Amino acid sequence: MIPLIMRLRIQGSGKGFRLLFPVVLLWILVLALMIVLLPFLLIGVLFTWRRGPGPALLAIYPLLFSVLFSLSGLHFEFENAKNRIFMSFT
Amino acid sequence: MNEDRKKILEMLAAGKISVEEAEKLLSALSSSQPDSQGELSGKSAPKYLRVLVEPGPKSEVQDRVNVRVPLKLIRAGLKWAAFIPKHAQGTVNQALQEKGIELDFTKIKPEDIEEIVTQLNDLTVDVEGKEKVRVFCE
Repeated sequence: MIPLIMRLRIQGSGKGFRLLFPVVLLWILVLALMIVLLPFLLIGVLFTWRRGPGPALLAIYPLLFSVLFSLSGLHFEFENAKNRIFMSFT
Repeated sequence: MNEDRKKILEMLAAGKISVEEAEKLLSALSSSQPDSQGELSGKSAPKYLRVLVEPGPKSEVQDRVNVRVPLKLIRAGLKWAAFIPKHAQGTVNQALQEKGIELDFTKIKPEDIEEIVTQLNDLTVDVEGKEKVRVFCE
């Protein structure tokens, strides 16, 4: 499932920073951008079909979707004596 | 107590079967049990690759790393390797050979990628030095 929320927490020696970002909003923007860019991509595919990365370019959108849909569950946590950074996609 | 085992013992107590027959039935039952238990307690396919770095007892640096990467993301990410230009693949091959790894990067197919990720399931790396590093699938 596509991640809906990104949690980001940065704690330093001073004040910390917490963010609960609904990434679903970002995905909507990405989708809109992809739709806008689709005609240009198709033109690029047509021009480079015979000699170039044309067929591979066609796979960009499915691959991009597979990455976005696999992000759910990604979790990073780094900590040292002074700072702590936490990020997760759920 | 297992229901089948109980029935056998009840049949023995009631004199419906002899001791030898009961023994045979019980041994047949016990030999079939590990398989069924294995199925029930069988490990489900791991979903994440976990990397944990913790400071060792003698470590001065108290850095900690905890990364959990979905295996699906690794699979999806590896498919992007198809977009690496040919000349860059040659450079990768050269760099691998310099490190003593005889691997032709250009010959890696999607099936191989799937195989690599599947084999990751059994991967467990434990390194204990100044830091304690653990890499495993869960």
